[in-house]
Amino acid sequence: MAEFVKYVDVTRCDGCKACMVACKNWNDLPAEVTEFQGSVQSHSKTSADTWNVLQYIEHENGKGDLEYLFRHSSCMHCKEAACEKVCPENAISYSKFGSVVIDHDKCVGCGYCVENCPFEVISLKTYKDKNGKEYKKSQKCTMCTDRLEEGLQPACVTTCHTDAMQFGKKDEMLARAQKRLAQIKDRFPNANIYNPQGVGGTHTIYVLAEKPSVYGLPEAPKVPTSAVVWKDYAQPIGKAMIGATTMAVVGAFITNSIISKRNNHDEDGGGSHE
Amino acid sequence: MSNYQKHPKANEQIRRFPKAFVWAHAINGLAFFALYITALPMYTEFFDWLYPVLGGPANARLLHRIFAVVFISPTFILLVFSPKFFFHWMKELITWKKRDLQFFTEFVKELFGFNFKHIRQTFFNAGEKINSVIQIFCAILVIASGFTMWFPDFFPRALVQWGYFLHNVGFGLGIAVIVGHIYLSVVHKHSRPGYSGVVTGKVPAWWAKGHYPDWYDEEVKKGNFPNLDDPKHKKNKGA
Amino acid sequence: MGANPAENHPISFRWLTKAKENGGKIISVDPRYTRTSAVSDIYAPLRSGSDIAFMGGMIKYAIDNNLFHKDYVVNYTNASFIVADTFSFNDGLFSGYDEATRTYDNTKWTIATNEDGTPKKDPSLQNPRTVFQLMKQHYSRYDVDTVSGVTGTPKKDLLNVYKTFCATSQVGKAGTILYAMGTTQHTVGSQNVRAFAIIQMLLGNMGIPGGGINAMRGESNVQGSTDFGLLWDNLTGYLGAPKASVPEHATLAGYLAKETPPTGFWSNKPKFVVSLLKAWYGDNATDKNEFGYQFLPKGNKNYSHINLFKAMYNKELEGAFLWGTNPVVGGPNAGKEKEALGNLKWMVAVDLWETETAAFWKKEAGSDPSKINTEVFLLPASASFEKEGSVSNSSRWMQYRWKAIDSRGEARPDLDIVHELALKLKKLYANSPKPADKPFLALTWDYGTGEAPDLDKVAKEINGYDLKTGKLLPGILAILDDGSTSSGNWIYAGFYPEEGKNRSKSRDNTDPGSHNYLNWSYAWPANRRILYNRASADPSGKPWSQEKAVIWWDAAAKSWVGNDVPDFKAVLSPSEPGGTGAFMMNKDGVGLLFAPTMKDGPFPEHYEPFESPAKNKFSSVELNPAVVINDGDFNKKGFKVDYPIIATTYRVEAHWQSGSMTRNQEWLSEIARYMFVEISEELAKEKGIKNKDKIIVESARGKITAYAMVTKRYKPFEVNGKKVHQVGMPWNFGYKGYATGDIANRLTPHIGDANTMIPEYKAFLCDIRRAD
Repeated sequence: MAEFVKYVDVTRCDGCKACMVACKNWNDLPAEVTEFQGSVQSHSKTSADTWNVLQYIEHENGKGDLEYLFRHSSCMHCKEAACEKVCPENAISYSKFGSVVIDHDKCVGCGYCVENCPFEVISLKTYKDKNGKEYKKSQKCTMCTDRLEEGLQPACVTTCHTDAMQFGKKDEMLARAQKRLAQIKDRFPNANIYNPQGVGGTHTIYVLAEKPSVYGLPEAPKVPTSAVVWKDYAQPIGKAMIGATTMAVVGAFITNSIISKRNNHDEDGGGSHE
Repeated sequence: MSNYQKHPKANEQIRRFPKAFVWAHAINGLAFFALYITALPMYTEFFDWLYPVLGGPANARLLHRIFAVVFISPTFILLVFSPKFFFHWMKELITWKKRDLQFFTEFVKELFGFNFKHIRQTFFNAGEKINSVIQIFCAILVIASGFTMWFPDFFPRALVQWGYFLHNVGFGLGIAVIVGHIYLSVVHKHSRPGYSGVVTGKVPAWWAKGHYPDWYDEEVKKGNFPNLDDPKHKKNKGA
Repeated sequence: MGANPAENHPISFRWLTKAKENGGKIISVDPRYTRTSAVSDIYAPLRSGSDIAFMGGMIKYAIDNNLFHKDYVVNYTNASFIVADTFSFNDGLFSGYDEATRTYDNTKWTIATNEDGTPKKDPSLQNPRTVFQLMKQHYSRYDVDTVSGVTGTPKKDLLNVYKTFCATSQVGKAGTILYAMGTTQHTVGSQNVRAFAIIQMLLGNMGIPGGGINAMRGESNVQGSTDFGLLWDNLTGYLGAPKASVPEHATLAGYLAKETPPTGFWSNKPKFVVSLLKAWYGDNATDKNEFGYQFLPKGNKNYSHINLFKAMYNKELEGAFLWGTNPVVGGPNAGKEKEALGNLKWMVAVDLWETETAAFWKKEAGSDPSKINTEVFLLPASASFEKEGSVSNSSRWMQYRWKAIDSRGEARPDLDIVHELALKLKKLYANSPKPADKPFLALTWDYGTGEAPDLDKVAKEINGYDLKTGKLLPGILAILDDGSTSSGNWIYAGFYPEEGKNRSKSRDNTDPGSHNYLNWSYAWPANRRILYNRASADPSGKPWSQEKAVIWWDAAAKSWVGNDVPDFKAVLSPSEPGGTGAFMMNKDGVGLLFAPTMKDGPFPEHYEPFESPAKNKFSSVELNPAVVINDGDFNKKGFKVDYPIIATTYRVEAHWQSGSMTRNQEWLSEIARYMFVEISEELAKEKGIKNKDKIIVESARGKITAYAMVTKRYKPFEVNGKKVHQVGMPWNFGYKGYATGDIANRLTPHIGDANTMIPEYKAFLCDIRRAD
C-alpha cells in the first residue's frame, strides 16, 4: 500500500481553528478549561483531550518585518516513531496508512511514549472505571485512521477551508510541497519542508514559513539515543543476562545433583554436611 | 572444613548478622521480589497475565511505587539500628586483596559441584562482596532513575529518557545477580547454612569457620566464638 | 478594508486564497495586523475612523496619475455631468447646511439639466463644474502627506496600496473591495462605502467579474433580513417607508409621486408598492382604499436601534419583542441599554438560550431584581439547523435549506412563533371596533391554520401572483400597479415562477461560464449574478476584455447574450437611447460619483469620529455635521484629556455576534474562552502592563476588566506628528454560557451614522490601567 501523508502548508493557513473543533467533534473529545495564554492561542500544546492545537506566533523576520505565523500542530506520525519503540506493551503500531496508532486495550498508561516523543505531542489521560478506580491511557492524534479506513480523510483536513491541509499519497504531497516552497521563497526566504529524516520522515509533512525552531519544533528530531540503547541493547541484553544466569543456575543444579550422586562423599573442598 | 563438623562445638550457633541486618535484608529482598513481580508484565509481554493478578496496570504501578519506597527503607534501617555493621560492610566492600581474585576460580568449580579449594576469606567472601557491590550499584541506578520516571515533570526530559534506560540496565543487571544470589543461598548445598544466617542472623560455627576463616579466627581471638581448631586435626589452610 | 475575513468570514477566505493562487494580490488595511493581514501581500495600518482620508488619497492618486478607466468613467458615471451652481463646498461643509437641525438640504446638490430634463454634460470632463472636476478639486486636499498624517499610515504603505489597487484600472484587470463592520460602524459609515464606490467606478471595477464592492455580512441572513424590510426606514424590497414628516406621504398617490424617479428602473416603483400592498392586505386592498396604504404606520419617529433604546430609556415604550437579539451585549453603550430594558412593562425574548438580555433583570447581570418591574417572557427558538427555510447571502443568492435535526424541548422555529401569535391575536381582536386595530385585522394571513405555517405559501407570496389567473408571476416585469398582481417582495419576483419550481432549491453546480453558476440557487433580481454587468462591455456592447467578458450585444440576435442574466433591458441595443445606461437603477443610467442622495454630502469628506484624539486636518468641522447627537446621561462623551487611547471592537473566529450561540457551545468556548484587550508593546510599557495581566478599560460610559494581550500586531500611530495609541477588543463576551467575560459594548457610544444610524462601535476613546 502506498504511504499516505497529511500535508500542511502553514502559509495557506488563516488560523481559524476549525481543525481543532473538527477533531474534537469527530473524536468526541471533551472541552478543556485552559488558562489565558496571552495570545489567541487557546492551549499551550496538545493534550490528551486536545489532539491538535493551532499555534499563533508573532515573529519578526530578518528584515525586521512582522510575520504572524500559524501552525496546525499535532502528532507527526513518524515513520520511525519513538513512541512505538519505547512502548513496553506493543500498544503502539503503524497502520497500513502509515499513521501511528495506540491500541487502548493494550496501553497500560506507563507514559514512556509521552516522555520519549521528540515532538511532545502525546499525553496521558486519567480515567475512572465503574468502581471509581483511576487508570491511565495515552492519547494523541490518530490521523483519523478510523476515517481513513472508511475512505474518508482526516477530520481536520476535510474541514480546512483554505486547503492548507491536504491528505494523499506521499510522493504527490511531497511534490506539492516542493512546488509550494518555490512559490513562497520570495516572501519567506527561510521557508522549508519539514519531513525530518531523523525519525525516518513523518506522515505529517509541513511547508513551514520559517525555521522549525520558530514554531517550537526540533530542528533535527530523532528517536532519543537513550531509547535506542534501551530498547535495542539494554533490554535484549538484560533479557539475555537473566536467561544466562537462569541457565547457569539450572546447569549448576543439574551438575551438582549428578556429581553428588557419583561421588556421594566429599573430597577436599567438596564439603557436604549431610 | 568438614573436619570442623566433628568438633563438639561444631554445631553451636554463632551470630553472624545483627538483627537489623536480618530485617533490612528481608525487607529489601521482599521488596525487590515485589518490585520484580509488579514490573514484570511491563518488562516483557510474556508476563502480561500478571496484570489481572495485580489488579490491572494502574494497580501494578501503584504497588510498584509502594514497594519502591519499601525497597529504599533498609538502608535507613541499617543506618539507624546498626550503623556499626553498615560501615563494616562498606569497608569490606572496598577492601580487595589477592585472595579475593583467587576465590573466583574456585567458586566456579564449587558452583557446578566440582572439587574446589576454600580460599581463606574475611567476613564476606569475594563473591558476596561482588554481589553487594553490584546490588548496591544497581539499587542506586534503579532508585535514581525511578525518581525521574515517577516524577518526570521535575526533571529534564533527557534525564527522564535516560532514566528509562538506566532503570532497565539496573534491573537487568540486578536480577541476573539476584538469581545467582538466591540460588547459592537457597538451593546450593554448600551455601545453604548461609540462608539460615540471613534469616536468623546465626550460622553453625563449623560453617562459619569453613567459609570465613579469617573472620572466624578473629572473633575467636576476641573470645566471641568457640575455637574449632582442634590440635588433633590438621589445620586446613587454603592454597 | 474594514474587514478581517480570515477571522470573521473564514469561508470567504477560501476564495481569497484561491484568488491568490491565481496570481491575485490581497491588500489588508486595518488598524491592527490581523489574521487577514498575515496572509495578505500588502498590509497598511490605518487609524480607526480615518477611512475616508485613506480612500480620498486614493481617489486623488488615481486622478493625478491618470490611473482611471476614462472611457468607463465618461460613459457609465455622472463624471461628465454639470453640477448646478447651488452646490458648493467650504471648510468641511457642503451647501444647504442648517446648523440648527444638523441637516442638509440636498436639493442644493443637483445636476444642471437641459430643457428636456436631461443632464447637462461635458464629455471632455474639462468644464470646472463637471462632477469630475469638482471631485478632483474636492480631493486635491487629500495629498499623501496630509493623508498619512491623518490616518497614521506610513507614506510608503499608502503609496504601495494606491499603486497596487489603481493598477486594476487597466482593462482586463479587476479589483474588489471587501468590507464589513469596520467600514460601516462609524458616524461616516455610509460615506466610507461611498468612497469605495467612487474608486471602483473610477477604476472601471463595477459590473465586471472579480470587481465590485462586497459587503461581508456578519450574519448568514443579514442580506435576507434587509431584503425583507427589517430596517426601520424600509418597506420590504428597499421601498422607502412612508413618513408623517413628509406631507406628500399622506396619500398613496402623493407618496408615489414624490418617491418615484422619472427615469431608470425605479420608475416602476408604483408597481412594486401596489403589489406589496396587495400581498399584505389581499382583498382588503382595492383601488378604492389606496390599496390599503392607510393601513401602513407612518410614525414620524426614527425607529433605529439607538432611538428605540432612547425611547425605552425615556420610558416611552411599553413593551418589546427581542427576537434573536442580545442588546445587553451587542448594543452600543450596553450598560444604558440594559437600564432601558428595566423601563419596559413587558419584554419577550425569543432565543436559543437565556441570553444576557433575557436575564437582564437578574442578579448575575448586576441588577437588583426587586427594583425591576418588567415582566420577562422567554420563548425558546430553534436554531437554523432545526428548521427549514431560505437564507440569502451577500451575493444575493436565496438558498433554500432543509431541516437537519429536530428542535429540542419546546423550542420552535421563529416563523411558527410568529404564525401562532398572529393567529391568536387575530382571534382576540376579531371584533374590535377600534380604528387602531384595523390594519392588523386587514392583514392577510393565509399560511394555514396549523401550528406551523405552510412555508410554500409564504414562498409563493414573496414571489407574487397574477391575481386574475391565480398563477405565479414569472418575474419582475410582470408586476403591475393596478392591483391585478401581488408580490410580497418585488426583488425576488420570479424565484418561484411556476408551481413546483422554487428556484432557491436549485442545486446544479455546473458552471455555464464566467463562474456564475446560474443554476445554483437563485440570485435576485432575475437570477443575475453580477450587478451592473452591462458595464463589463464597452458602450458599443463589446466586452472591454475577453477575459472579463460577462454579457455582450449580439447584433444578429438583436439581444444581449452571455454568461449571466443581463442587468439591462435584454433587447435594448447600444445605439438606442439609454443603450449605454449601465446603471439602470439610477436616474440617467449612470453610476453616481456625485451622489446627491446622501444625507451628509454628495462627496465623502473626512470627519473625525464622535470621540477622537485628533483634530480634523481637512476642515474645522470635527464631527460629521449631519449626525444626530445624543448627549446627556444617555450618551456621555469622553475627551482626549481623560481618554487618550483610541479603542475599537471586533469579533473572534469562535464566537458569533453577541456569542449567545457560540458561548453556549463547549468546543467553541474552549478555543476562545477569555475576554481580552489587545494592546501594543509600546503602550504596555508605558502603562506598566505585562502580557496576561488583568487590566481595566474605561470610557466615558463605563469600564470593564479583561486580560491584556500584549502584541506586536498593534503599533502606535503617528497622527499629525503625535503618537496615538489604539487598542482593540472583542465584543462577543457576556456573563452567560461557558466562556464569559466583560461586555465591551459598555464602553461604546450611542451615536450613529448620518444615513443609516448604524452605531459607531469602531472608534471611540478610552484609557487603560492595570487592574491591581
